Formats: sequence, C-alpha cells, structure tokens
Amino acid sequence: MSAKKPDYYAVLGVFRDASPEDIKHAYFEAAQKLHPDKNVAAGETELFLEVQQAYEVLSNPKRRNLYDATLPPDIESNSVVKHEVFFSRPNLVRLNEEQLLYVLLEISPREESEKLPTPPLNICLVLDRSTSMQGDKMDMVKATAIQLLRGLRAEDVLSVVAFSDRAEVIIPASIETDRRKQEGRIQMIQPSGATEIFNGLKAGMQEIRRTLNPSRINHIILLTDGQTYGDEQDCLNLAEEAAAQNIGITGMGIGHEWNDIFLDALASKTGGSSAYISKPKDIQRFLVDKFNALASTYADDVILDFKPQEHVKVNYAFRLQPEGGNVQVETPMRLGPILRDMPLHVLIEFVVSPEALVDDVFILLEGSLKLSIAARSTPIPPIRIKLDREVRVNPSAEPPPTRILSALSRLTLYRMQDRARSAADDGQYDTAVRHLHNLATHLLSQGEHSLAKTALFEADNLERMHSWSASGNKDIKYSTRALLLSGVKEKGK
Amino acid sequence: MILCSNCKHANMAGAIFCAECGAQLIGKDTLTTQTIRTDHFNRASSSKPATDTYQSFDGSDAWGSLHLLDTGQVLPLSARNEFTLGRVSEGQPIMPDIDLSAYQAYAAGVSRLHAVIKREGGRMVFMDLGSANGTFINGKRLSPNVEQSLKHGDILALGKLKIQILVKNE
Repeated sequence: MSAKKPDYYAVLGVFRDASPEDIKHAYFEAAQKLHPDKNVAAGETELFLEVQQAYEVLSNPKRRNLYDATLPPDIESNSVVKHEVFFSRPNLVRLNEEQLLYVLLEISPREESEKLPTPPLNICLVLDRSTSMQGDKMDMVKATAIQLLRGLRAEDVLSVVAFSDRAEVIIPASIETDRRKQEGRIQMIQPSGATEIFNGLKAGMQEIRRTLNPSRINHIILLTDGQTYGDEQDCLNLAEEAAAQNIGITGMGIGHEWNDIFLDALASKTGGSSAYISKPKDIQRFLVDKFNALASTYADDVILDFKPQEHVKVNYAFRLQPEGGNVQVETPMRLGPILRDMPLHVLIEFVVSPEALVDDVFILLEGSLKLSIAARSTPIPPIRIKLDREVRVNPSAEPPPTRILSALSRLTLYRMQDRARSAADDGQYDTAVRHLHNLATHLLSQGEHSLAKTALFEADNLERMHSWSASGNKDIKYSTRALLLSGVKEKGK
Repeated sequence: MILCSNCKHANMAGAIFCAECGAQLIGKDTLTTQTIRTDHFNRASSSKPATDTYQSFDGSDAWGSLHLLDTGQVLPLSARNEFTLGRVSEGQPIMPDIDLSAYQAYAAGVSRLHAVIKREGGRMVFMDLGSANGTFINGKRLSPNVEQSLKHGDILALGKLKIQILVKNE
C-alpha cells in the first residue's frame, strides 16, 4: 500500500473482490455515519470526502479496473494484525443430533507495530457522586482522578463528569487546560443525591464527542456504587451509539450494591467489560491499571462481521483476554481490544444442527474482521475469515488442542457460577446449591482453596436463607473470571 | 450425545466439559470410570456397620466367605453358624444378618429377606427364602425353602447379584 494513495477498498471496508452491491452498501453505511451534517469528530469530513472518492472510483467498472491494475498483488499479507484459529475438533461428525464445536480466535499485532507511537487518549471519567459514595470511596476516587490528571501527556484529554440524579461537568473535554485549576474542581465534588446512570453517561458522551477523533483512544470509564432504576434501556441505547462511534465503555462497580449484570451488558455493547472493586482502597489500582491498558491499546475494538448461516448458531462467546468478559452474541460481534503486549483471545461455542451436514465441508462462519488502529491514519483493510470443517462419519480420536482445553477448563468454572446465579434467580435453590458444590469441588482440585470456601459458604447461605450473602455472587463471579486471565499468564511464563 | 461418567448428564456431542458438573468428558483416560466405581463400593461398604463387623475379623476363624464377583469384595462368615442374606430397606423391620444393599442389591433384584446360609457339621447349606427373583446355583434355579448343599467355588446368583462361595478347608 503506497502512503500517498489511499486504498479505496480499505476506505470503504470491503474486500477486493466485493460485488457492486457490497460496495454500494458499504458506501451508504459510511456516508450515513460521516456525512458533514451529522459528523461530530474532527477529521470526519475529510474521511467523508475520501469515502466519496473511493465510491466514485469503485462503483464505475471501468475506473475500478484501471484502479485495480495499480494495486500491489497481495494485500492480505500487508495486514497489520495476524490471526490464528484453533478448533476443538479436526472435523464434524455426521450425526442425527446437534453437536458442539469450539473455536478459539487469537488476534495479535504484527511485529512492526512496536514502532508505532502511543496514540493520544480521549477519556471521560463518569463518577457516581450519590450520597452512598461519601467517605473512603469518594476520597479515593478524587485522589485517583487527580493522580491520573497529573500523569497525562500534553496531547491527552481527560474530562470528568460527576452525577447523582443529575449530572455536572467537572472538567470539560479540551486540549488546552489549566491542570491546577482542574485539580481544585475535582476536590470540590461533594456527594449527594441518588444514582441515575443515564444522566452521567449522557453528559460523558457529550464531553467525549467534543474531542472525538479516530486517531485517539476514545473511552468512557463509569464508576458507580449503586443501582440505577428505570433508565437501564436508555443507557444501553446510548452504549450502542457509543459503539457506532468507536467509543469504548468500561463499567466499574464499587462495593456490592451495584448491578453487575447491567454494567456487563452496557460495557459489552462496546466490546468492553465490567470490573468489581470490592474495597475502596482498590479503586486506585483498578483505575490506574485501566488507564495503562488504554494507553497500550493497539486496536480499540475488533469487530467480527458475518452473515448468520443456516443450521449453525453461535451459542456463547467469551473474551479470555485482555479483559475477561462476555461477548454479546449478535451480528456483528464486538470482540474487544488488542493491546500491544496482549493479544485478543476469544472462545466461541457453535451449535451445529444435523441438517448442516449434507456436504463434505460445512462452513460455520464466513465474514471479516474489522478493526481500526488509532496510531495509523490510513484505514485497515478488513481481514477475511472463514471457519469451515470437513464432515466425516467417524469422530476423530485426536484430543482437543491444549490451549482450548485449558481455556475451557477455566471457562467451565465461570459458566458454572453463571448457572448457579440464574438458577437462584429463578428460585431453584437446590439446583443453584448443586452447581456451587460442583464448582467448589473443581476449585479445590485446582488449588483455589479460599475461593472454594467462598463457594461453599454461599451454597450454605442459599440452602438455609435462599439468598446470597451481600457480596457473595460478585466475589465468585469476578474471581472465577480472574482465573481465566491467570491461566493465560501462567502459560505465557 | 455424551453421557457424563460423573453425573450422568447428557451433554451435546462435541462437548469437552460436562455442562452440569464441570467434569472433563474427553481427552482423558476412559478406564478411570471403573476405578471410581470400585472405590465407591469400598467406601460404601466400610460405612455399613453390618459388614464392618465381619471385616473386623481377620478371617482366620471364618468357616467360609462370600466373594462378591461384581465388586471383588470378600465377606468372611464367622462367629455364628447361620446368616440370613438380604437388604435393609427404610421403614421395614426386616434386618438380615448380612445386608447386601451396599452392593447394589436393590438394582440386582435381591429381596429384603432373600436366603439363608448355614453351617451344618462340615457342610455348607443354602436355602432360598421365597425371594421374588429367585436364587441360582451355578445357573440352576433353586426351589424356595429347600435346602441345598454348597461346595467351594459354587456361583450363587441372588437375583442378578453374583456371589462365589469360598469354603475354608478344614
């Protein structure tokens, strides 16, 4: 790819063999997002002009042929990331019943990426300042916010919004700033009122849009300690808007009163995840870690776009790293970020129906991986991805690859607590207790004694009082989630 | 479909871990199933007081033994000359001298009071007590309430529960 001439196919996000319909569709989609009447971020008008230019060339068969002739022959190897695919089985088996197949997708930056500069940040801290935050929590949040502010580089932008039942912009998003004055404004935040997340999120979005730029890492960090009531759906809609503009959302919950399922759903809309901060003293560590992770972002959100196939469905998808979390099963799927020092690993569970196995080869998924890299000004061409398996009469005796086995063994624990949780929510306490006992057995056998104890303690609670202890379900959920990552790290050593 | 050997949950084909109990389904030695079963029976039997008594004898003064073929357990017969065989079931006042319920007696079709085994002089005698599924010696069905002598190595079947008779040589 020459630096002077933009790659028109990449600009539109289509393959080189795209049909005229595909090109038209991609153009309309991009035009809707980038039209000067609508776009908000600096530089988007320029992008729009590029898109238009690309469409003018590619929609005309003659001009497209001429343009194609100027392209270097192999564009796929030019790609900036590499991806590897592992299957749990070498082939599908011709059966009269549904069967499972696991696919592990690993996406990592190519070597040369080390030389890219760290992209500037555009981060908004959305802080809960409801009455319950009073004391240690608020003090710790303020101290950390000031620490982060001091650690910023000149090109970074950090805005701060505090919310209770209404939102207040503490620090507006702006490049020219008086940091000393900002510190004072953070110090002035006083807790009062109830928690209404939508207000805070909306104000946060407004701030982040002021300095929104595709060459920055645009991210909202929501910090709360309470439940929001009635505005969950509005929040989720807002998260979808954020995702469309490449704004990531991370949810952090302090203590045990907040709704982890909601924060997970909110964050996963943008390919992010939620974090559980059990004690106020950990607030600093979590926020600083998150900032460091954002600063080392390579690609902020990898999107797996595909057309759903008949007779096969994605049953479950989970990001094992960099941040463990559920991936929402929808088209397209937002898989999450790739960090410079940590590739993206996603495990997908497919259910294949017997009707699928007519031919000798079955295609589970055909689509593309799309990503944008803030440090690169040119768009990245999509990466074609095709998952297929041969269909045979007999199952293979080959054991599943070790990386799938070890990932699944830990993911199984996480899913067991998930099942215990939903069984308890449905009032099936004996089922929930059984799941927790099973979970404890496996935790013990893996040497996780204290977590096993917690699981048994909660099983006992459920049995006797039909309820979890105040922090029990969150402790188990986020600890089993953390196990996923520790497994990855051990392997790396 | 893959049946979990641990909890009998029916998992979808291609599953690697049981969706119910989390046990690993494939990629490990399948023979372990057998080991777990024996292990289970050993533990179950040691928790039963009735068989405990017998195991506390070292077998030196036993006049014979029952060798349970399915599990490999040997129950020595000693300290008295007559034992009733059967299984204890909850809420029933029937107490056989040897309770076989730890050896899957119910599933094998052993009656609560199935049979009696006696020592008469140097002879070992066996009698079915009108059991529902009958007793077989070396494959031949016994008539109920008729005594039948046993010799070393005879295979008894109480319903489907197979026991080999071991007679101590005197």
